[in-house]
Amino acid sequence: MTVKIEVIAGGIPHDQLMIAGLVGSLVCIYLTYLNAMTNSFVFSFFGGLGAVCALIWGSNTIKVLCSYGIGTGVPSAGMLALGSGVIAMLLATRYGIWAPIMAVVLAAIIGAILGYLANNVLMMKIPVMIRSITEMAVIGALSLMGFSAMAAGSFDFAAISTGTQTFLGMTVTSYGNSYMGLTIIAVSFFLAAIAIQHPFNATLGPSWKQDRMLWLAGECGFLSMITVAVMSLAFLSLNAALVSLGISIILWAYTYSQYITLSKRDAASWLDSKPIVEPEGH
Amino acid sequence: MSVTPKPAGGVGMDMTAMGLAILLMLAIIGVAWYMFGLSLIFYALIAIIIGGALIGFGVHFVPVGGAPAAMGQAPGIATGVAMLAGGAGLAGLFGGAWAADLGIVVACAGGAIGGALMMAITCMFVNVIYVYGMGIPSASGKAKVDPLTGDTQTEYKSQGTEGHGLPFISFVGGIVGGFLGGLGGTLIYYVLLKWVYVEKLAHALGAGPLANVTPIAISLAGIFAIGLFLVNAVLAAYNITGTIEGPHDPKFARWPRAVVATAVASAVCGIVAIAIVAV
Repeated sequence: MTVKIEVIAGGIPHDQLMIAGLVGSLVCIYLTYLNAMTNSFVFSFFGGLGAVCALIWGSNTIKVLCSYGIGTGVPSAGMLALGSGVIAMLLATRYGIWAPIMAVVLAAIIGAILGYLANNVLMMKIPVMIRSITEMAVIGALSLMGFSAMAAGSFDFAAISTGTQTFLGMTVTSYGNSYMGLTIIAVSFFLAAIAIQHPFNATLGPSWKQDRMLWLAGECGFLSMITVAVMSLAFLSLNAALVSLGISIILWAYTYSQYITLSKRDAASWLDSKPIVEPEGH
Repeated sequence: MSVTPKPAGGVGMDMTAMGLAILLMLAIIGVAWYMFGLSLIFYALIAIIIGGALIGFGVHFVPVGGAPAAMGQAPGIATGVAMLAGGAGLAGLFGGAWAADLGIVVACAGGAIGGALMMAITCMFVNVIYVYGMGIPSASGKAKVDPLTGDTQTEYKSQGTEGHGLPFISFVGGIVGGFLGGLGGTLIYYVLLKWVYVEKLAHALGAGPLANVTPIAISLAGIFAIGLFLVNAVLAAYNITGTIEGPHDPKFARWPRAVVATAVASAVCGIVAIAIVAV
C-alpha cells in the first residue's frame, strides 16, 4: 500500500488534459485521411500532430501514476505504454477507416487487463493504477498510429505494409520496401517511448511545474516528429516530406524556446554568463 | 512540493485476483482452441504464454540496484529493472533472430546465450567500475554468506549501506536472468514468425503466392516480441518494486505472482498478435 503525500494545486486538471489529448489526437489522425481524398501526401503531418497531442496527455498521466512512487523508475511506465500500445495499434490497422477508434478500444481493453494484473495480482494497490495504465496503453497506440500515419501517409494496414520498388524501369509493389517491411515501426516505437517518458523524468522534483512539463512534452514530441519526417522521405513524395519537416522544425523551435523560458523562470537563480573577453593588444 | 514515498510492495497473494486472472487466461486458451483447434497457431499461443512467464521469472534473478547502487550504497547494477531486462531481452532477441531458419532449438539457444552474454558482460564491467573505479568491495546486504561460494559478507559491508558492488551470487543471478529472458523473448519471436505469420500472412495481406512477404512477417514478429517483452519485464519490475539483489533476496520469493501476471498478460497480448493475421 502506497500513500500519496503530495497535493496538486492549480494547473490544468488531468481529466481536461485527457479529453483534449484523446479528441485532439483522434481528430488529427483522422485528418491524414485528407491524403486519400485529395490523392496526395501533404496532409501526413497531421499524424505527427496527433501523436504529439497523445504524448502531451501521456506526460501528465505518467505524472499522475508516478506521484505514488512506483519504485521502478519513470521510464518503465513509458515502456509499458508503448509495449501494450503497439500490439493494439497493429491489430487496429486491419480495420481500415475505423482504425484509430479501434486502436483506442483495443488498447483500453489490454490496458485495463494489465492494470488489473499490476494492481491486484502484483499487489501494487495504487488507486489510479488501472486507470493510468489504461490511459497509457491508449496513448501508446495513438502516438504510434500517428507516427505511422505520418511516415507512411495512411494508418491503414495495406498502406504501412506495401511500398513500391523500381525494377528495370518498372514500378512494382514491394512488401520489403514498406514502413513495416523496413521495420521503421521499431524506430517509431522508441521515438515515441523516449518522448513519453522523458518529460516527467526530466522535470520531476521539488520545483515541478505542470506547464513546464507539458511544454517539454511538446518539445520531445516535435523532436521525434522531425525524425519521422525525415524517415517519411522514403515513402512519401518529396513535397509532403518537406512540408512535414518544415512544420515539425518550426513547432519544435517554438516549444523549445518556451521550455527554456519556463526553465529560467523556475530555476532558483540563473546567470546568463558570457565568455570572458581577453583583449589581445591595445 | 513532492515527496514520493518508497513503495513497500504488497506481501502475500490476493487469491481472488489471481483466480480471476488465471480464469481469464484459461478463457483465452479455450477461445483459441475453439477457433483454431490443435493447430500450430494454438501451440503458438501456448508457447507465447510460456515465453512470457519465462521473462517474468527471469527478471527476478537480475540484480537491480537503481540509484542507490550508483552511489555505492546498495548492491546491484545501477539502473532500473525495465532498462536492464530490456537490454538483456533485446540482446537475446538479436542473438536468436538470426538463427530462426535453423530451427526452434538453435534459435532459442542462441537467444538464451545472447541474453546471458549481455548480462555477463554488463555484470563484469559493473564490478570493474565498482572495484577499480569506486574502490569498494562487493558485499551483499541481504545474506550473511554467499550461498554459492560460502564467502562471508558482513565484514566487507560498510556501515550505513545495504551492501555494495556485485557479489558472486548476484553475478550468477544476472546471467541466469539474462538466459531466461533471452530464451523467453526468442521463443515468442520464433513461434510468431514461423508458426503464425509465415503460414498466414500472405493470405491476410491478399498477396499472390509469389509475393515475398517475409520482411513483413519478420518485422511483425519482431515488434510484437519487443512489445510483449517490455510488457512482461515492466510487470515483473512492478512486482519487485525497486531494487533486488538476486536469487538470495527475500523479494525473490514473490516470483509466483509475477509468473501468473506475466502469463496472463502474454495470453492477452498473444491472442491479439495472432488475431492480426488469423481472424
